[in-house]
Amino acid sequence: MLKCDHCSLPVPDTRAVVDEINGEKKVFCCNGCRGVFRFINSEGLSDFYGRRESSWTPGPPDESPIELSAFSDSLRPAGDEMEIDVVIDGIRCASCIWLIEKLMLRTDGVNYARVNYATHKAKLRWDPETTDVANVLTRIKSIGYTPKPSLPGAREEELKAQQRDLLVRFGTAAFFSMQLMLYSVALYAGYFQGIGEKTRLTFQLIALALATPILFYSGMPFIRGSVRGLKNLSFNMDVLIVTGAGSAYIYSIYQIYSGGEVYFDTSAMIITLILLGRYIESGAKGRSSEVITRLLSLNPKEARVVREQGTGGREFEPVPITSIHSGDLVQIRPGERIPLDGIVTEGASEVDESMLTGESKPVAKGPGSELFCGTQNLYASLIFNVKRTGKDTVLSQIIMTVENAQARRAPVQALTDRVVGYFVPAVLLLSVCTCIIWLIYGRALEEAFMNAVSVLVIACPCALGLATPLAVLIGTTRGASKGILIKGGDIIERARKIDTVVLDKTGTITQGKPRLLLCRGIGVRDNEALAIASSLEQFSEHSIAKAIVNAVIETTSYNVADFIAHPGLGVSGMINGKPALIGSRAFILSAISREKVNSAIGTDLLSQIKSQELSGSTVIYLLYDGRLSGVFVISDEVRSEAKESVEVMKKTGYDVIMITGDSPETALSVAEAVGLGKDKVMARKSPTEKAEAIKAMQEEGRSVIMVGDGINDAPALVQADVGMAMGRATDIALESADMVLMRSTLTLVPDAVRLSKKVYKVIRQNLFWAFIYNIIAVPLAVMGLLHPIVAAISMTLSSLSVVGNSMRLKRG
Amino acid sequence: MWSVFILIFIALCLGLAAWLIFLWAVRSGQYDDMEGPKYRMLDDEEDEKERKKL
Repeated sequence: MLKCDHCSLPVPDTRAVVDEINGEKKVFCCNGCRGVFRFINSEGLSDFYGRRESSWTPGPPDESPIELSAFSDSLRPAGDEMEIDVVIDGIRCASCIWLIEKLMLRTDGVNYARVNYATHKAKLRWDPETTDVANVLTRIKSIGYTPKPSLPGAREEELKAQQRDLLVRFGTAAFFSMQLMLYSVALYAGYFQGIGEKTRLTFQLIALALATPILFYSGMPFIRGSVRGLKNLSFNMDVLIVTGAGSAYIYSIYQIYSGGEVYFDTSAMIITLILLGRYIESGAKGRSSEVITRLLSLNPKEARVVREQGTGGREFEPVPITSIHSGDLVQIRPGERIPLDGIVTEGASEVDESMLTGESKPVAKGPGSELFCGTQNLYASLIFNVKRTGKDTVLSQIIMTVENAQARRAPVQALTDRVVGYFVPAVLLLSVCTCIIWLIYGRALEEAFMNAVSVLVIACPCALGLATPLAVLIGTTRGASKGILIKGGDIIERARKIDTVVLDKTGTITQGKPRLLLCRGIGVRDNEALAIASSLEQFSEHSIAKAIVNAVIETTSYNVADFIAHPGLGVSGMINGKPALIGSRAFILSAISREKVNSAIGTDLLSQIKSQELSGSTVIYLLYDGRLSGVFVISDEVRSEAKESVEVMKKTGYDVIMITGDSPETALSVAEAVGLGKDKVMARKSPTEKAEAIKAMQEEGRSVIMVGDGINDAPALVQADVGMAMGRATDIALESADMVLMRSTLTLVPDAVRLSKKVYKVIRQNLFWAFIYNIIAVPLAVMGLLHPIVAAISMTLSSLSVVGNSMRLKRG
Repeated sequence: MWSVFILIFIALCLGLAAWLIFLWAVRSGQYDDMEGPKYRMLDDEEDEKERKKL
């Protein structure tokens, strides 16, 4: 069978479209693929075909069945119809959403389909008489997207409610402020040109009416926050806001009474701008809390318990996971996830444990081997004895580690809070001094007190609330255009202090997918050996088999009969009527003697094989017609740019360390390939141990950035000062991480730190500009010469300076 | 002078109306998907069956 050079799907020889491009013969399955190939080639982008090898799965979408039990909780009736919320994985752009919505609407019985562009959550509604949930979800899967259950966790709901509340408060403040400004401008004009006593009073009263809801409704969270802060004797941001806005409000009421100028606009603008800043900030934060929900959704909800019957027969009864106890026997079919931890009693299969260990090779399981909850059974049915349930399973332990680490992570006191912590007491002190000085000079208590309040009025900078969020917003947008997604402003403060970079091995330094490195025919041509091997291996789902099949460029394919998979060993079958076996050394030795194997290989190749095995590669053998006919070396390749990136990081002054769940031998060989010393390698670390290792480094006073991609890295990603996930990482890693590298290129790591430093610098400058005008105006207030115009000017100038300064981040 | 007060009254009413519309918009979920509409407007309605459903 030929393979299309563009889409990698198999093409029958008779129907292939053949074309010559740059002097090479290329095969396509259709003219469409040929057109795309020609286009990509003519644009000079043919590198695409080399690049995709690492992360691109060719061929038809994953056909594994959907675990319906996981969706049962999110299914609900809506009138006569059924409704479900699912998160759809694999959405990349607006076209994906268009495709899913249109496909759903064309499915019989589906009446409503809407995908949220920001959260990738779909709401589907259908008529239960015409179709069912399995059909609907299978349709989505058939076009290559994976529906996942969306369990609205309590946290997520709370966060959403919070964000909506913030929006209403900000919107209200903004509308009332706009109205208020009309009257403020009229009052300014009246100050210069003269205004009737009555009109002025009317305008002032309207202004009062408009400012009241802003302070007491929109400003309520700040009032509550400042009460809480004062109880703890901490002068936080809320205290400053409430002092500033509140004193301006009270001072203005006094001024109406005594016939002076009012400052309601100051009061309103402080609150409005700060709410705007908070709203900008909250947008980015939303997603990170979904991590726990996703981790839990991996767990199957049901399992089949084996019930012995009197007659000696057995029955498999599906029961909810929660009612299974340790000691029960549970059956697992191929493709299913293992629901609980236990020990295999019957059957042999292979299990994909990559989510726990990060190791891409499946692990062979037979009676006596241990199974872990959440891992996936690949080939054959297994029956196992349940050993640990609920909170005790390894997966639950990982979830708990992530949860604990998130809770424990000391909140960085934001720079603004630190500045405000000194500023507020200083201003309060100054205000008290002002009052005392005026009293000493023999003024009335009332006048002295009001001058003191005017100090508070002018001291609070309006632009303060914008200083951080605006810089963060522009900085993160800038990062996104480079391929670095930063999940929040606090991360920038942590990232700038980084001195240690910890890299995961599988999937971060290496490609994470096995590839055929070496192919040797013995007694036959190399290509011939590969052709025989791939003919047989195309029926296997094993990752090593895929590596062999993918390596085939153009060869004839043979007819295979009697294909049998031997889990953990290899595969066998009849090719052209002769028996063929492919598999591990142990598998081959079951068919022919050790001496025969060694003599067939020869000393040269043997030593090469030995060294490859030492460096962590897998070696498999081909036995054809009773003779050893081929040797294949399959390995997880180191990323091409890894060495260079490590060098750059070292030069920048970071301590680079590699951490992995793999054996020390494999780890050392990879470390050598990227230029890391022996002392910089930490091997055979479980997910929790990885997190502990990072904690130990932090206790030494280091600031650690962790780069990883698997669930097994999730605890470490959360523990690290900054967790960074590669673009193709598992969902859980993406959610646990603080930053995500959209392109799986390690060179982005130093870039991300550099960007963080720059944003941090702009934040500091912004704070300076926010405060400086107000500080200059404070002496006027102390002397009792405060004026609405001064307040208005400082308000405008500081806001403009902050916005302008933040814009600088857009460049460079 | 009366005209000024009438205008102020109208301005306040308009502001209030805008605010109420804003509150309605937030409540009815208009702000939940800030990304989608700019793409959705480009989609053509395809046939009768779909139009009816949407």
